[in-house]
Amino acid sequence: MRIRYLALEVLRQLKNTRNLVFTFALPVVMLLIFGSVYGSGGQVDDSTHLPWLAVTTIQMGGYGAMMSALAQAFTIVNERSLGWNRQLRITPLSGAGYLTTKVAASLAVAAMSIVLTFGVSLIVFHTPLGVGGWLMAGLGLWLGVVPFALIAILIGQFAKPEFAQPLFMVTFFGLAIFGGLWVPLSIMPDWVSNVAQIVPSYWLNRLGQMGALGSGDALAPAVVLMVWTIALGALIVWRYRRDAARA
Amino acid sequence: MNDSPAIALHGLRKRFGQLTAVDGVTLEIGRGEVVALLGPNGAGKSTTIDLALGLSNPDEGDARLFGGTPRQAIVAGRVGAMLQGGALLPTLTVRQSIELVAAAHRHPLPVDEAMERAKVTDIARQRVAKLSGGQMQRARFAVAVVSNPDLLILDEPTAAMDVEARHVFWESMRAFTEEGRTVVFATHYLDEADSFADRIVILNRGRLVADGTPAEVKAVVSGRVVSFALDAAPAGLHDRLATLPGVRDVERRGERISIQTADSDATLRAVLADYPAAHDVEVISRTMDDAFLALTHDAAEPALQEALR
Repeated sequence: MRIRYLALEVLRQLKNTRNLVFTFALPVVMLLIFGSVYGSGGQVDDSTHLPWLAVTTIQMGGYGAMMSALAQAFTIVNERSLGWNRQLRITPLSGAGYLTTKVAASLAVAAMSIVLTFGVSLIVFHTPLGVGGWLMAGLGLWLGVVPFALIAILIGQFAKPEFAQPLFMVTFFGLAIFGGLWVPLSIMPDWVSNVAQIVPSYWLNRLGQMGALGSGDALAPAVVLMVWTIALGALIVWRYRRDAARA
Repeated sequence: MNDSPAIALHGLRKRFGQLTAVDGVTLEIGRGEVVALLGPNGAGKSTTIDLALGLSNPDEGDARLFGGTPRQAIVAGRVGAMLQGGALLPTLTVRQSIELVAAAHRHPLPVDEAMERAKVTDIARQRVAKLSGGQMQRARFAVAVVSNPDLLILDEPTAAMDVEARHVFWESMRAFTEEGRTVVFATHYLDEADSFADRIVILNRGRLVADGTPAEVKAVVSGRVVSFALDAAPAGLHDRLATLPGVRDVERRGERISIQTADSDATLRAVLADYPAAHDVEVISRTMDDAFLALTHDAAEPALQEALR
């Protein structure tokens, strides 16, 4: 792994303007809408006792971070169909090195999205949450993004180009809706809340919220996301080896 | 390890379903050789290249580069390649593409030097999406040489180039081979194989059907043609010529006589001794196209293949 390659690759992904619009603008716009409509009264969330604005900000931050990671799927599919991956295979870059650069690129874009969403929340709504709360919430969301980067790689590496788009949409909407990243689960039917615990996005949001609380309850979502990371990582390595053997 | 050949393929076989794309190819390419890989479409050139680079695994046989596995040679930065279906990213400029690939290598050339060698300095700031076919190939050549490789494998490097671009390309190639590097290129242009390779390997239906110098490939297949004009042809000329040394076939068109011969020197001496009036003498090697067609035409195969093994 060359550090310079990693840096150039991350920079390249950050410059990808098509991704930037959806990744950065959408969560901010949704935050502004929800915040203006419901946030002015200074309500407090029933279950966490966090300010409602902070809960929404973290939810949208999680959405943006997840989107940053998932959007890599298109980049990967695109690069693959162009033959860029063939070009990379005649460099010393290993399969693991390739995965690392893709995860790192996801993390870099996610970090920007989280900072932007939190920043807008602070500036526009003066959302009351301590520095520690913001930091821990942001850190939780940021690290929690890793399994989503792996999902993107899985889609990108193994879906055929024409199948990638629908697969991405299903995955993305499923994760956004059932994870409660768009609309809070509390206003959804009970069965949705039950389903939610299956999807990693629920735990991403939960990790952010618990981080904001500085609560030890952050342990459970952290463990769940870690398990997701290990399972997805194993799947990718397994498919990658098979793919290489067959190609 | 130091003396092991740049490429050593042993009994390579690769099947795709029913189709056997590469059917028992054994080939050694020494260091410093410039080898052209010829063959009709579907002959197995690209598959052989993929196997040699370890991009796909053979069903049988093995491929070694510089005595090690292809991957080891690639990791050591000893191999550069322009592959079929290997493209650059359209959103990057030429320079950025080269920088990105250079960053993945351990001991790359300075980017400026790679651009100089591939003659892409003038298009360094252009986006890949806006390059013409020939410019694109040059940019890919720059990417292939940026690792400063000892072995360069090029799969149809001059496809999509016009005559001028091809000329410029081979000029930069020549500078490269003069430094003693090994180059293997697949091509459809027989004249390129003829003028740039010191060895020609012909594949057909996944098998190696010929392997020799350009002169050997041309001469062994078709010999040479000695032709001359004779104003007043004496009676029995045709039969007499047919008995001269080396002669395979005699053809007469008006006053011009063409003799296909396996030994043009002996034939010509005999002709001039017997017929001092012969004028406008020409000795022509059959072209690479003739050789190629003969070798890849199935009916002609076994005997010719034997001759070139």
